[in-house]
Amino acid sequence: MVGIVVVSHSAKIAEGICELAGQMAAPGQKIIAAGGMSGGGIGTDAFKIQAAIEEANAGDGVLVLVDLGSAVMSAELAIDMLGDELKDRVAIADAPIVEGAIAAVVDASIGQPLVSVAATAAGARELRKK
Amino acid sequence: MTKIELVLTNAAGLHARPAAQFVQKASAYTSKVTLAAGTKTADAKSILAIMGLGLGQGSKIELTADGPDEAACLDGLKALVESNFGEG
Repeated sequence: MVGIVVVSHSAKIAEGICELAGQMAAPGQKIIAAGGMSGGGIGTDAFKIQAAIEEANAGDGVLVLVDLGSAVMSAELAIDMLGDELKDRVAIADAPIVEGAIAAVVDASIGQPLVSVAATAAGARELRKK
Repeated sequence: MTKIELVLTNAAGLHARPAAQFVQKASAYTSKVTLAAGTKTADAKSILAIMGLGLGQGSKIELTADGPDEAACLDGLKALVESNFGEG
């Protein structure tokens, strides 16, 4: 299964999304939070994201959901720091973080490949409230 | 091709967690499964399509399965819906 990493400036947001998305997950699905700075402050930390990606990888690659602004840059930096073998099997989702994480987890849990999980997450943008 | 009609009796309808359970169940079979509600249809293996329908409690759905395990597939989905998705 494709692993999922949730990156937010807030550790609580990242953990909350993982908790929520975990409700939709099959057993064994990895959903790892990488929120906040290492000292607990608001921000994003490339080293924390890198560790989360490594933890989330079960062999089928990892999709990274991000919130805003520098979360994207930190996630890109984290991917750059990965080993060559894993680097090519990690993608950043162009998706809303909550809806995208939930949709991605469902798709990953049914064994879809990374390209499909990423497309599903991006498609979550079309989910309307009304 | 096999077809059944069901009514969603669980409180949440096909939102979030039940939608995820539904898609995961449908995906466990090789048959193509389509859900129709009113004038809309959705691929039962697509979480976005199912969540996008926004079906609530009391919604009537028609499930069509086409493939080698279509009967088992519809039995499985029927059992899931009729169990109210394990809601209390």
